[in-house]
Amino acid sequence: MYGKVTGVTVVGVRGHPVTVESHVGRGLPSLTLTGQPGAAVQDARDRIRPAIESAKLEWPLRRVVVNLVPGNLRKEGPGLDLPVAMSVLAATRQVPSSRLRGWAFAGELSLRGSLVSTPGVLSVAIAAARQGLRGVVVPEANAAEAALVEDLEVVGAPALAEVVGFFRGSWTPMPIPGPGDDPQRSHLVDLSEIRGQAQARRALEVAAAGGHNVLLIGSPGAGKTMLARRLPTILPAMSREEALEVTQLHSVAGLLQGELVRERPFRSPHHTVSPAALLGGGSAYLRPGEVSLATHGVLFLDEFTEFRRDAIEGLRQPLEDGRVVVTRMAGTAEFPARFTLVAAANPCPCGYRGDASRRCMCRDDRIGVYTAKLSGPLLDRVDIRLTVPRLTKQELLGQEPGEPSAAVRERVEEARARQRRRYVDLGSFCNAQLPGPVARREARMSASAESLLAEAVDRHALTGRGFDRVLKVARTIADLAGSERVEPDHVVEALAYRQTPSALELEHVG
Amino acid sequence: MSDEETDVLADDPWPVWPDGFAATPEDVRALLVLSALRGITPRRLLEVAVERGTAAATLAWIRAGRAGSENDRAFARTLDADAIAGAAEACGARFVPWDSPGYPEQLRTIHDPPPGLFVAGGVFPDPTRAVAIVGSRRCTDLGREIAQEVGRTLGLAGVAVVSGAARGIDAAAHEGALSAEAPTVAVLGCGLDVAYPPGSRGLLRRIRSGGGTVASEYPPGVPPDPWNFPARNRIVAGLCSATVVVEGAEGSGSMITAEHALEFGRDVFAIPGAVTSPLAFVPLRLIREGATLIRGAEDLLEDLGLELVQDEVAGRVDLSEAERRVFDRLVGPTLPDRIAFELGASVPEVVGALMRLELRGFVRCVGGRYESTLKARPRAAASGSRSAGEER
Repeated sequence: MYGKVTGVTVVGVRGHPVTVESHVGRGLPSLTLTGQPGAAVQDARDRIRPAIESAKLEWPLRRVVVNLVPGNLRKEGPGLDLPVAMSVLAATRQVPSSRLRGWAFAGELSLRGSLVSTPGVLSVAIAAARQGLRGVVVPEANAAEAALVEDLEVVGAPALAEVVGFFRGSWTPMPIPGPGDDPQRSHLVDLSEIRGQAQARRALEVAAAGGHNVLLIGSPGAGKTMLARRLPTILPAMSREEALEVTQLHSVAGLLQGELVRERPFRSPHHTVSPAALLGGGSAYLRPGEVSLATHGVLFLDEFTEFRRDAIEGLRQPLEDGRVVVTRMAGTAEFPARFTLVAAANPCPCGYRGDASRRCMCRDDRIGVYTAKLSGPLLDRVDIRLTVPRLTKQELLGQEPGEPSAAVRERVEEARARQRRRYVDLGSFCNAQLPGPVARREARMSASAESLLAEAVDRHALTGRGFDRVLKVARTIADLAGSERVEPDHVVEALAYRQTPSALELEHVG
Repeated sequence: MSDEETDVLADDPWPVWPDGFAATPEDVRALLVLSALRGITPRRLLEVAVERGTAAATLAWIRAGRAGSENDRAFARTLDADAIAGAAEACGARFVPWDSPGYPEQLRTIHDPPPGLFVAGGVFPDPTRAVAIVGSRRCTDLGREIAQEVGRTLGLAGVAVVSGAARGIDAAAHEGALSAEAPTVAVLGCGLDVAYPPGSRGLLRRIRSGGGTVASEYPPGVPPDPWNFPARNRIVAGLCSATVVVEGAEGSGSMITAEHALEFGRDVFAIPGAVTSPLAFVPLRLIREGATLIRGAEDLLEDLGLELVQDEVAGRVDLSEAERRVFDRLVGPTLPDRIAFELGASVPEVVGALMRLELRGFVRCVGGRYESTLKARPRAAASGSRSAGEER
């Protein structure tokens, strides 16, 4: 006796349709899985019989072979429990095979036959829609997530018994509430909570407006983390496509709270993070890393100099391509990883170099080693570098609360819209993404701004790479000001965001 | 300084070019050719000149093979004075011969004065208002900072900074003077059209456009041969009433410049460094030999009997209204927010003004706060609260 249903396995974030066929034939009672099942799929062998029996259905006391097609693709994840079970039930004629056509199944089963929340259901639903299927059957807990895909019927079932009931016509699923239209939920934090630090706040505004990466240098307690955490609140609201992509990544990672992710993500992995956790990977099942979970949001690396070298080196690809390719024994997967990097570091190993009230206790040679870590190819991709001073009591006194995030975000959105219009033919969305030569061509500098930049180069205030960075930042500042051309005022402000720890060196040796 | 030369000193006076050596146009043309000869030593040329009296006679003497090498003779015959004058004109330079009123008076009394100079830009400064700043090409950031600060302070005090436009200390000294918008003099060891060191073109252009002077005793096209530089240093020292040595390793050209200055009876100042630092070798040795130790621009001004006066400084430096208002607020390290708040201006405006000031070297950023780099504060602005910024 033969039966087949459609399941989906997720590689990276992409769902691949899998035909799950079963044959029930003569022989001692057994269940064999073929077609490259991964470890989690192998587990299904022992889960499915108790699940079926708990659902008051019958497990055939015969030899059962389940084959997963295509055979050249390694299948991962527990989401194939339900299709395997349904395929056996179809082979034993306990559900009408004809009605199963056009549906994809995904979900992990418990021994009691209930469907457990399963990672990657959004990717399953997207794959099903792409395949032109009529609908998907998923655990009830994941139904809202699957329903984000348009033109696809979604059945959210609490247990295997209900799935069978649905196809026998004896059970009707609850309708799924549609996604709300609110594009951006209110954040828990706001820019107005930061007192003082006007220059840093302004730098964040510029970073948000141009999509620039940021390096914040400052003593402990200067407010680096506080500032970074508020960057997502001034980024423009995500488009539906962006939100779907973020939701899909969070779904695959099993982090989803049920519905569409509307807030821009803020990820701050600890500096002991492994390269696999940061960039994606894992031994059996390729999971998205922090860089992917931060997609369309902010990746905050506090204590930047303390991160493992191999982890930091691995950031180069996502920073350049907006994606990360992970290759492991288990296969190769590509994850989106387009984020704004905010790196934070102390000015020196002890943390108090250049501080107004505490003395730095570091030896010169240690400072040299330390500052060397704050340069290199990765930080070439960081356009805005700013020293954040630790404010003294007097400096904090009389500081009025700053602008709320919403007001800043309005300006940011206008500046972004200006960039989108300008770069409509280039495939870039913001100034930070432009390659150097294109940035130089597109900057539209006034003659006086150009001669000012040339002067800065003459005075050794700028290197070649620094030149491009200042150019892009100046372009963003002009966009914020609503100016068609980059004027000298925009260039001088951009020059303020190129501070490096070596600038502190003079103060130290002097 | 070798003993031999000391003897020459004792013999007094050392030979200089005879009066009327290049008084007539014909002599000036002959001198242009003489300046291009590369084989005959300057001293030998001077001896011949003293004997023969005029440039034309000297050239004839060499062409006749009575002095100089075989090469010189061949070369002197083929050289065309008009071509040299044309090349000088092409790079915007004029030729100032010994007898010209434009020839710097202070050079007439030095050892082996140049018979003429190729000059681009302004006139030479009054020797009492000219100070040389010299030092290592491979200097430390600190040395560069000091040279720039001394250059800037001298510029603000109305003193011309003279140096060699080399990398490192020389360039920093010129930059300091330029940031004070004061004329500065660069003496090169090659032709004025030769861009040496590479990357100095921008600096030399700004020196000229800032009312300063670029000079060389070599005609256009002469390459930067290594032996030109010690010779160039005697002109640097000779143009000034005082020479400041910032950093120099053993065997450095800055030692030669200082020795020339001593030889010519000019003052020598040195900025000391750690006794273990190789770059402190020359300054420390000079101090042991009697040079005046200075700790920075302030000491130098005091020793030269100069003072910075607020109004004069204001007159020399062209700050915009916004820049001036921001600059006046910099009492010790100050946050840009603070300045913006006090002035009622926006933070980007204030940051912009600070950056313009930083580009010109008046301001620097330390740990997110900004402070003035002028250690010698203008007198009228002297206030007690400034001391916070001067603690080191």
